[in-house]
Amino acid sequence: MSFEKKVQRLEEIVRALESRDLSLEKGLKLFEEGITCLRDASAELSKAEAAVQVLRERTDGILEATDLRA
Amino acid sequence: MPDGSEVLALFDDEAVAAAQPRSEGRARRPAQQLAEPGLSPESAISVATLTLATRDIIEGAVEPLWVRGEVVGLKEHRKGHWYFTLKDENAQIRCVMWATDARRMLAAPDEGMTITALGKLTVYAGRGELQLRILRIEASGDGLWRKAFEKVHKKLEAEGLFAIERKRPLPMLPACIAVVTSTDGAALHDIVSVVRRRCPITRIVVAHAAVQGDGAAGSLVAALHRVARWGQADIVILGRGGGSREDLWAFNDERVVRAAAGMPVPVIAAIGHEVDVTLCDLAADVRAATPSAAAEAAAPQLSELLRHVKRLGNDLRDAALAQVESARERLAVAGVSVARAASHPLERRRLLIEGMAGRLHALSPLATLGRGYSVLMRDDGTPVTTIDAVAPGDQVVARLQDGMIHARVERKESLDEEISQ
Repeated sequence: MSFEKKVQRLEEIVRALESRDLSLEKGLKLFEEGITCLRDASAELSKAEAAVQVLRERTDGILEATDLRA
Repeated sequence: MPDGSEVLALFDDEAVAAAQPRSEGRARRPAQQLAEPGLSPESAISVATLTLATRDIIEGAVEPLWVRGEVVGLKEHRKGHWYFTLKDENAQIRCVMWATDARRMLAAPDEGMTITALGKLTVYAGRGELQLRILRIEASGDGLWRKAFEKVHKKLEAEGLFAIERKRPLPMLPACIAVVTSTDGAALHDIVSVVRRRCPITRIVVAHAAVQGDGAAGSLVAALHRVARWGQADIVILGRGGGSREDLWAFNDERVVRAAAGMPVPVIAAIGHEVDVTLCDLAADVRAATPSAAAEAAAPQLSELLRHVKRLGNDLRDAALAQVESARERLAVAGVSVARAASHPLERRRLLIEGMAGRLHALSPLATLGRGYSVLMRDDGTPVTTIDAVAPGDQVVARLQDGMIHARVERKESLDEEISQ
């Protein structure tokens, strides 16, 4: 799931939990799913700084991304 | 480069004398004497010799010249050659532009268009006509550029390539941005520094392409295809810094526009300055005024995303808390003591509430809420989520923070019955 989808799902879950007509079981389930989305989304935002690379085609036709000279 | 009068002088004095007999020449040399070719009836030359000799003389004597005139009667040969006449008020000359030269032009000139053309003077022997072999055409004003632009524009617009409905939204957080540009250009530097500043976790991959000059169009198409085939980019920035109209022209090439429009992920075009609008700009999902603006559109501000996710985490916790509180209130209304036996149906609800509260524990600073929750399971480990799942006499297991409690179901009551009592 993309970051965007996770955030969207999280927003849906919050909206659903904010509504009162929800069974406790459903609420718990949603809450757990929300926690998972939250953890995943946070993890994506705390990834390491990414490199600048160049996409080249090798002579055998395989594409590879290698770091750009500094 | 000789001017007109010198050309005529050459023609009169040296050149033609060799090929074309004149009355005074004939007078000087007796006819019966075997003379040089063409100087006597006996040594008469063929028409072909005459015209070809004339051609050689003219071609040898006159450097290519820039000529201005009006285009009349242009015909395009199926092999790509152009035939037309250049004329002004009092004169005209037949012109030919061979396919190899014509191909390099943006478009054929229109009827009546005034052009400035670089041509080499020659003779078309088949007709004995003076002819200008055109090497290049510069449209006066921007006629040809506009014409070429409009031709491709019209064609691609008819295919719906520029339609609003084709525009795709940009992803909120691209894991990878591909940049199709020259690795030597300023555009790349601008894009990299903006993306680094806004969202350092986003990977930048450059697909190098020549962005101007011969072969730029092919190079851009190849780079776009490389990115598409690689398949790991979430956004493509296609761009280059400012330049002349000629410099930016590859971005109006039909092949490049089609390749940009056919990318599997959204394309942001940033070509030249704000005032320059190329067909790639029109075909892209987003048009940015400059490469820096393209980078700002592509890369989110990481700090804002972090804030947003944190806010959602707080909202989630608050909403869950509210659910727990309202469930507790309902329990309190029912007047149930949490100290009752685990077999009591209201206890099951309490367990659920405390289970939820326990999960909230994962979200600091609400650790206190997680205290004392447990989950009720059947002896095979499946959670008991409804009273229908157990019958009196069944063995159940309650899991708590520090261990398990094995118990037996004594009696069941529905919550609704209890509350309505």
